[in-house]
Amino acid sequence: MDLHYMVKELWYRKRRTLTATIGLAVGMAILITMNALSSAYTEAARMPLKEIGADITVQRAGDVPEDLTGPVFACSAVTIRKNEIERISTLPGVQGFAQALLVWVFDADRFAIVLGIDPSNPVGPGVLRTQLTDGRFLEKGKKQALVEASFAKNFNLKTGDTVTVAGRTYPVAGIVDASRATKIAVAHIYLPMEEVQKMAAASKQVQAVSPFDKDDANILFIKAAPGQIDALAHSIKDIMGDKASVATPASFLKRLGSLFALSDNFSLVTSLIAVVVTLLIVLKTMAANLTERTGEIGILKAVGWSNGNVVSQLVGESILQCFIGGILGLLFAILAASALGFMQVSIPIPWEMSPTPHFLPGGGDPAFKTLRLPVHVSWKLAGVAILLSSLIGAVIGGFLSRRIARIKPSEVLRYE
Amino acid sequence: MNNHHIISATDLNKDFDSLQVVKGVNLDVNKGEFVAIVGKSGSGKTTLLSLLSGLERPSSGRVILDGRDITDSSENELALFRRDTVGFVFQSFHLIPTLSAWENVALPLFPVKISAEKRRERALELLRQMEMEHRAEHRPSTLSGGEKQRVAIARALINNPKIVFADEPTGNLDSATTDAILEILKCLHADNGLSLVMVTHDLDLAESSDRIIRMQDGEVLS
Ligand SMILES: Nc1ncnc2c1ncn2[C@@H]1O[C@H](COP(=O)(O)OP(=O)(O)OP(=O)(O)O)[C@@H](O)[C@H]1O
Ligand SMILES: [Mg+2]
Repeated sequence: MDLHYMVKELWYRKRRTLTATIGLAVGMAILITMNALSSAYTEAARMPLKEIGADITVQRAGDVPEDLTGPVFACSAVTIRKNEIERISTLPGVQGFAQALLVWVFDADRFAIVLGIDPSNPVGPGVLRTQLTDGRFLEKGKKQALVEASFAKNFNLKTGDTVTVAGRTYPVAGIVDASRATKIAVAHIYLPMEEVQKMAAASKQVQAVSPFDKDDANILFIKAAPGQIDALAHSIKDIMGDKASVATPASFLKRLGSLFALSDNFSLVTSLIAVVVTLLIVLKTMAANLTERTGEIGILKAVGWSNGNVVSQLVGESILQCFIGGILGLLFAILAASALGFMQVSIPIPWEMSPTPHFLPGGGDPAFKTLRLPVHVSWKLAGVAILLSSLIGAVIGGFLSRRIARIKPSEVLRYE
Repeated sequence: MNNHHIISATDLNKDFDSLQVVKGVNLDVNKGEFVAIVGKSGSGKTTLLSLLSGLERPSSGRVILDGRDITDSSENELALFRRDTVGFVFQSFHLIPTLSAWENVALPLFPVKISAEKRRERALELLRQMEMEHRAEHRPSTLSGGEKQRVAIARALINNPKIVFADEPTGNLDSATTDAILEILKCLHADNGLSLVMVTHDLDLAESSDRIIRMQDGEVLS
């Protein structure tokens, strides 16, 4: 095997080399791009939940409140019992867990969406910490409130003021601006969990629709171990019954309705087709190459190259050529990926996850999380593609070299 | 068989299907001898050469080349044996078109484990002997017929062969070039004691050999 000779063969037989290399490059580019797109959609579908530090959210549907006075539950988020919460939080694969309590409060003078949160939990609404624009975040055990910026503006509230909700008054610890965040688990007023639990437990309207104890909640946030999300979602549905609404990246991916989401196997099938077509192109050019080079191979054998010498030379050439094709395909794919990265996707947020009631401005409108499709070619994908290309070279080279063995050295005397 | 012989062939036959191309040939070539094989087109000269040189195996009979019975050797053993012992010069030169002159000369050594530097040095030295050093980096398509054949002869010599087989080495050359190439071959034979078996149908060329072997219809006449 002589690298220099290989390179010269490839270089001086440009047309043939180009046909095989470009053919392989295009096939590999398709394969890489398809897989990159597929992972991009998967990653995009993870975004809405990732923004609140979770992989799964859990709610339960219930009845519409009869009387809109005082604290009520939205019909999309009614009581999740303490014993259910305990069972869910201890399921295998749960790596992080948070609960929250969403209530709509109809006071005489105004309406407020109130969310009870665990301020120290990095999972769930605790991530609001990063959206703080003024003052301080909630602290465990302190009876304080955070107010959403636009709500604060409407009602002229500032850090250090007090805010009254359902007859209870809290000092305003700070202002948060979640207007750019996904409309999941956002509210006008954020309070410590225990405060909202007391408020809900004391509400006749709440109890009338969905009995509530002060250790219950109505939204759960779960961070799952890698690869466990779908299995966990399944177990949660089993615990919660058929009124459960469990949101996962997969449920968002389904809503996206892209080709990649419709079928898990779409990118696998296109990849396979790309590989097979590539194989055929390379096989055809290489077979033509060998036919053309019968005489040359006769020369090599005549001057004392063994079958093994000839085969390793030609297989080496084939691998080198396919390797170069793979690199080229990778470059094409990186170009294609950066072009596709300008594409926007709008991920629909299911209405039941939006805390805003339909009678408020913006409430009931379809909500979307819009983002640029995060298309990029991972190192792993690049590595696999290059390895696969070289493997194609080796397999085809090896397959064709059986013909080489049949070329007799005495051919050289008959060949002009 | 005695050890003065570089080649000793007994009762060689070669058939292609029903066609008998070489029939009952007995032939010895002495070490350092220059033998010319002549005969009409189709008389079996090339086929006999390929049997004697281990390019092809006979249908029956024996060939002993440089003291070794190659009749039953495997294809790979023959390849190795050719690499170590034999040089070839062909009518159509048979250079690799993508390689430069010196790389073509070094071609038989590619599978041999020696340093690239040594290989190149040796190839250049042979090109110098052939007065072709100035074309070392050129590819065959840029060389004239005579120049190509000089490169091919250098290639035949790179493994220090004991015997060189040439099949119509001047068949594609004009008369002036033919004389020059023949001169080179004769010098190799005279100066280095190289054994030489040359097929030709040019009787004038054959005259410069030590011995002429005539073939007709697959048989050796004299
Ligand atoms: N591989 C083969 N298969 C079938 N027939 C062959 C083969 N090689 C040679 N022959 C036949 O054997 C006969 C002798 O061929 P060969 O090439 O040895 O003759 P030659 O004396 O070298 O002729 P020329 O002077 O034209 O080169 C021819 O009839 C040829 O067609
Ligand atoms: Mg012939």
